[in-house]
Amino acid sequence: MKHAILGVAFAAALAVPAFAQDYTIMAPANPGGGWDGTARAMQEVLQAEGIAPSVEVVNVPGAGGTVGLAQFVADSAGDPTKLIVGGYVMVGAILTNASPVTLKDVTPIARLTGDTQAIVVPAASEIQTLGDLVEKLKADPGAVSWAGGSAGGTDHITVGLLAKAAGVDPTKINYIAFSGGGEAMAAILGNQVTAGVSSVGEFQEQVKAGTMRLLAVSSAERLPGIDAPTIKEAGFDVVLENWRMVAAAPGLTPEQVAKISADMEKLNGSAGWTKMLTDKGWTNTYLAGDAFATQLDADIAATETVLRDIGLVK
Amino acid sequence: MSQGISPERRPPNRSRGAAFIIAAGLAGIAALILVDAAGLKQDGGYAGVGPGDVPRIIAYGLLVLSVLTVVSGLKGDLPRPPRQAPAPVFWILGGLLGQVAFLHVVGFVISGALLFGMTARGFGQRPLWKAVAVGIGLALVIYGVFDQLLQLNLPAGPLERLIFGG
Amino acid sequence: MDSFSLLMQGLSAAMDPMILLYALIGVTLGTAVGVLPGIGPALTVALLLPVTYGLDPAGSLIMFAGIYYGGMYGGSTTSILLNTPGESASIVTAIEGNQMARQGRGGPALATAAIGSFVAGLIATLLLAFLAPQVVKLALTLGPREYFALMVLAFVTVSATFGDSALRGLTSLFIGLALACVGIDGLTGAARLTYGVPQLMDGIETTTLAVALFAIGEALAVAAMLTPPDGMHKITGSVRMTATDWRRSWKAWLRGTFIGFPIGSMPAGGADVASFLSYAAERKLTRHPEEFGKGAIEGVAGPEAANNAAAAGTLVPLLTLGLPTTATAAIMLAGFQQFGLQPGPLLFVMNAELVWTLIASLLIANLMLVVLNLPLIGLWIKLLSIPRPWLYGGILLFATLGTIGVNPSPVELGMLILFGLMGYGMRLYGYPIAPVVVGLILGPMAEQQLRRALSIAQGDWTTLVATPVSATLLGISAVFLIVPMLMRLRGRGRVLSQVAGDAD
Repeated sequence: MKHAILGVAFAAALAVPAFAQDYTIMAPANPGGGWDGTARAMQEVLQAEGIAPSVEVVNVPGAGGTVGLAQFVADSAGDPTKLIVGGYVMVGAILTNASPVTLKDVTPIARLTGDTQAIVVPAASEIQTLGDLVEKLKADPGAVSWAGGSAGGTDHITVGLLAKAAGVDPTKINYIAFSGGGEAMAAILGNQVTAGVSSVGEFQEQVKAGTMRLLAVSSAERLPGIDAPTIKEAGFDVVLENWRMVAAAPGLTPEQVAKISADMEKLNGSAGWTKMLTDKGWTNTYLAGDAFATQLDADIAATETVLRDIGLVK
Repeated sequence: MSQGISPERRPPNRSRGAAFIIAAGLAGIAALILVDAAGLKQDGGYAGVGPGDVPRIIAYGLLVLSVLTVVSGLKGDLPRPPRQAPAPVFWILGGLLGQVAFLHVVGFVISGALLFGMTARGFGQRPLWKAVAVGIGLALVIYGVFDQLLQLNLPAGPLERLIFGG
Repeated sequence: MDSFSLLMQGLSAAMDPMILLYALIGVTLGTAVGVLPGIGPALTVALLLPVTYGLDPAGSLIMFAGIYYGGMYGGSTTSILLNTPGESASIVTAIEGNQMARQGRGGPALATAAIGSFVAGLIATLLLAFLAPQVVKLALTLGPREYFALMVLAFVTVSATFGDSALRGLTSLFIGLALACVGIDGLTGAARLTYGVPQLMDGIETTTLAVALFAIGEALAVAAMLTPPDGMHKITGSVRMTATDWRRSWKAWLRGTFIGFPIGSMPAGGADVASFLSYAAERKLTRHPEEFGKGAIEGVAGPEAANNAAAAGTLVPLLTLGLPTTATAAIMLAGFQQFGLQPGPLLFVMNAELVWTLIASLLIANLMLVVLNLPLIGLWIKLLSIPRPWLYGGILLFATLGTIGVNPSPVELGMLILFGLMGYGMRLYGYPIAPVVVGLILGPMAEQQLRRALSIAQGDWTTLVATPVSATLLGISAVFLIVPMLMRLRGRGRVLSQVAGDAD
């Protein structure tokens, strides 16, 4: 038995060089952003762990990733060495920009990481719980101003879903879109707005320092080490995750897809990836195969509904 | 600002044509903006200022400026540029257009060398092949530093693959 | 331990010869890459960040600081010598700086920029070290309405960059404002003037426009001259600053610093806005108004000090609150994370040692920068004696490199050519270039802040003057706008005909 394991391990070790293939990963965003960070983290680990001998990252920024996606589909069809990083934001951007190319045109491989959304108020605010905030929202939706990222992005969708769950007309929310995370955060800290929405990670340090109060998180279960209820617990049926994924080119054979999936599986199982995620503060939400495909379809449908409700998609 | 060319004042009638063309251009941009703004959602939300409102104000400003440009042209206040040599301009534009057209076919080095060579030719450097040869040398160095050393992705063509591999 | 002894400790740690070598390498690389048109500080830092991997934290941080300041400084060299600003914060430097270079005074222009950057960097880094928590408290009290008022002030004072004709200056500004409308509206997500072209969704890139208008437009204009002015760039006099240059520069450096630092610390400020305001201030305060537009040294000294001070100011919200307020800051944040450094309100408490090492590194990098650059001025000036065909061939190659490296799409390169032609045409008919870029930068900022302020106040316009800061800023703007008009009215009584008639 022991020999058999050794034998398999040996065969696998021999097989790796023969099967290993180079990858080019497209980050459909500028250097420095989340997708770029994901792509570069993959590059580092894939190379360091010997999963792929050489990995290149290409940035194609623009329009919430849809420019890169369109170029990826046009240039990479049938090429098993091409990968693209994307995420939940892309789902919304495809809809709001009426992009002719959608996620149906690529081959989703796996969800890699995820961020939970958080709702906060400035420490000086008299609002103590999500219930208080929703009461205010119901009384006068315009009086509750929300600071968050770009219009139609994950933050905006979170507010829209919450309003809908609370029985408030989602088109009546007073959402103030800020261009960068820093500016939105400054507006919350400076008490310029009623509440703020972003990923838990963005707010964590502020909450620890006591400059913001965390009202609720958007995950299905409470997060370890974070003292806040889920939105669901507070009585509103909203669960949302801002995930990042990797997809392959369209028009691949099942063998090619299997090979890429196996490589991503190896990436996910590697010690280097675990360390990378810890260093970057990302949560591993690896999900592959049919389970991911189902999840993706459900997300796209739900997002389309809420964007229609907010009035961003006709 | 760049007073590379010091505009001279000439009799009024000479600058009228240009003033009318500039004025028409400004009015044209204004029209584009107004048409586009009309097609946007007119709802200003809680701000009361919607996505089309600020562009509209800018368009009205352009229209006013367009009228003032005509007035100024009629009075002959627009400076008349000195005579221009068209050939160098075409050499440089040719180099730039060539780069757009061939960048993804022949790669950064060759298309960049052509741009360099044609620009140098436009500035009077002859023969063209010599300028292109210098351009290839320079572009190779740039490619080596930026693509190979600093990992900035520059489009690769046959020459890049031959020299730097992969 | 108090701040001062912590700083001293950081400085002594940084005095190690190896650390100094890292600083030198960082500054050299940062300047070398930052000099290239189209490659601004954000891209410079992003490109060079991997160079710092694998060093120990102190060495890595100092190299990092060198790259940051080097990248900020690099842009001014090409602005002055070649009228080709590498990034938006050195656009106004090109106005006076290039005029000085044309008169053979490129040496003093580069020197005042280098020393001004050093002075500003030094003061601003010290302010960062000792006043950051207080400054950030003030900055946080500002919201959209104050930023809107600040943008209005910037718009009003920016008329100083208009050149000699109000009509042509305003036309340039409005062309910039019109270009700024292109792209997705930040507040509603509506696509404006994009005509279904995905590459236009994110709007027109400032660096693309600036590089095209300045570098390509300039190359076309110079090439098309029938009689190229001989010895346009010939060096006359010393490459050093004269006593008069010093006398005229030092106040501008200080004013630039005190304009740049606070504006850089504001979450919605920025080095470009700071440089515009500094230029406007110098123009208003100068004793030599006749020299502005023709190579006034204050017009180089002030904005260069302001943009460096703003660069240090950007670190205030980054280090005290963990807020990255510029693209460069966002990339730096990624750089910090490699040491497990999590910028946030507790950073100064939790990682005091590293923070003070960073601040000491900034001081040393700043010193290195001036030590490296002053002797190099003689060399940079020689750049201008390269025969014109090779010089402009090189400029165009580098000008397109920035665009190709970031986004090699035909649409982006096509815009480069289109705006290059526009820049040529504008030069022919005496339209100033800078206001176009100013309009592109300030236009969307002003619009978004206005709509945010109104949205928060649910459409109540009085919110714009509801705080002392916003009311004061708008009041000053009104004075700047109305007083010159009144004076013209009383003086000559023909304001309108003047605007229309372009009387100088």
